[in-house]
Amino acid sequence: MAPVTRAPEAPAAVPTPKEPARAGRARTPDAAVPAGLRPRARGRVLRGVLLTAASVATLFPFYAMIVLSLHPQGAVDLPGSLLPWHLTGDAYGEVLGSRDVPRWLFNTVVYSLVSVVGVLLLASLAGYAFAKKRFPGREGMFWSFLSMVMVPYHVTMIPTFILISKLGGVDTYWGLIVPTLANAQAVFLMRQFILGLPDEIFEAARLDGCGELQIFFRIVLPLLKPILATLGTFVFLWHWNDFLWPLIVGQSTEMRTLTVGIASLQQEQVPLNQVLAGSVVAFVPIFSAYLVGQRYFTEGVVGSAVKG
Amino acid sequence: MAAVAERPRPDRPLGGSLRRKEARIGLLFVLPCLLLFVVFRFGPGVAGLLLAFTDYTPGAVTHLTGLENFRRLWDDPLFWSSLRVTVVYTVLAVPAGVAASLGLALLTRRAFRGSKLFRSVFFLPVVTSLVLASTVFVWIFSTDGPWSAVMGFLGLPSQNWLSDSVLVLPALALVGIWSRCGYGMLILLARMQELPVELEEAALVDGAGPVKRFRYIVAPQLKPAFFFLAVIETTVSFQVFDAVYMMTGGGPANASYSLVFQLYDTGFKYFDFGYASAIGCALFLLTIVVALVQRAVLGKEK
Repeated sequence: MAPVTRAPEAPAAVPTPKEPARAGRARTPDAAVPAGLRPRARGRVLRGVLLTAASVATLFPFYAMIVLSLHPQGAVDLPGSLLPWHLTGDAYGEVLGSRDVPRWLFNTVVYSLVSVVGVLLLASLAGYAFAKKRFPGREGMFWSFLSMVMVPYHVTMIPTFILISKLGGVDTYWGLIVPTLANAQAVFLMRQFILGLPDEIFEAARLDGCGELQIFFRIVLPLLKPILATLGTFVFLWHWNDFLWPLIVGQSTEMRTLTVGIASLQQEQVPLNQVLAGSVVAFVPIFSAYLVGQRYFTEGVVGSAVKG
Repeated sequence: MAAVAERPRPDRPLGGSLRRKEARIGLLFVLPCLLLFVVFRFGPGVAGLLLAFTDYTPGAVTHLTGLENFRRLWDDPLFWSSLRVTVVYTVLAVPAGVAASLGLALLTRRAFRGSKLFRSVFFLPVVTSLVLASTVFVWIFSTDGPWSAVMGFLGLPSQNWLSDSVLVLPALALVGIWSRCGYGMLILLARMQELPVELEEAALVDGAGPVKRFRYIVAPQLKPAFFFLAVIETTVSFQVFDAVYMMTGGGPANASYSLVFQLYDTGFKYFDFGYASAIGCALFLLTIVVALVQRAVLGKEK
């Protein structure tokens, strides 16, 4: 996640329970915008041309990735190779038939999913306590958590690696996952969201005789659904795409994640169509998730952008 | 509802035992996070600073070397070269990237048929791993790749941009812009949609054209978002690594050997962890200085 050097009272796109930030969505439908502020016919044509050009530039690498991954192995010539003729799935057969790529896919799924569950659980527990419980050292603790966002990841990376290797965590799932569970942005987002929940709900549950853990799991967590979805998608994306940490912790071939594995394919001079097929395999899950949960992706990004 | 609101709330004084119970629960809930933070964030943060004053390498005796690593850094031509690479990359990628973000945000600002689709398209590279995208960008920038074809069409010589020491950073910057400008677009859009339409409407009535309306009405209100983007994008650019690792390996002749790449190389190829930590400290310092400068310049008229 991008480190941030900004006070937390920054323009709050932090979703609150009552009004989730609809980032990337028009709040004002076109009709609400005065006609004079809408582009006229010539402006609309210009806008269309520019948008189309920008879209082609944005999408071209995806198109090339897919078409060339379906290209038979061998020379790639322009523009012929970019046309969808003579397509073959050979590269996919090679990539998925190898022992490594399915294993890397499995590792990536484990790394992403376990991290999401861990981060969400720990951050919601801490966020709830920071928002609704009074205990000694609360403010100091919270702000020192948050201040760590400003320290670049690369400064702590080496000592964290030394620690993990001393504890025997190199080439293990826990060594890969556990250090990433300390996620300050997640705690901050959770706290902000829970601050907006009315105390009366918890009071009522307490009067009804609920224990604290019961309150947390039966009352708080269900109320957190929107922020859990948003943050969960974002953390998933971040771990799925993470590169540097898996690169240094997963040293054996079996413990690579997809990003690290594909980097190694490329360095081992594996034919282009197979490297690209591997990239497509790694991209499809994220792309499908993006299609389904677009709102959560964008809210996660905007939310975490003002995280503090 | 008034009766409900008057119930004692946790923020009001409670009985002593209740308060102790609340504090206990609070600490208990924070504890797992706290432990993780102490072990994996605060500890390594302090250790990273301390390591920079030692000659730590795995398996060898460690000495306190004082400022030796920093003196070495000062005399290391590779460090100055990687610093220059990092700064040039940032100067190429950040202003152009923010401009591209602004362009996309302005084009998709008002809802029209397909506006959501366009936004999704522009945001797609942000959710795509740069490592994966790099596999195709290596081909795009190769001698007989499409980028050369476009350049050839414009009458420029075709060559492998990634193996030319002058063109490698512009090529990497283009990839960086491609992968990041959807993020900036989203941040700017989020801010634009909070702006009241009335101000622009008033300007319209007064006869201000689109350029004037942007210059005098919209742009000033976007300033906090611009500031935020400038800081974030600069920080991200300073840490450029994935694309360098994937596409150039720091070459040709160290022309794309960035600061974080040097940190990685020093740490995990030569296992010179003490020196690598000193590079980390330099990066941290650089980030802070630039954030302060940006705050002074961009945040001046608040």
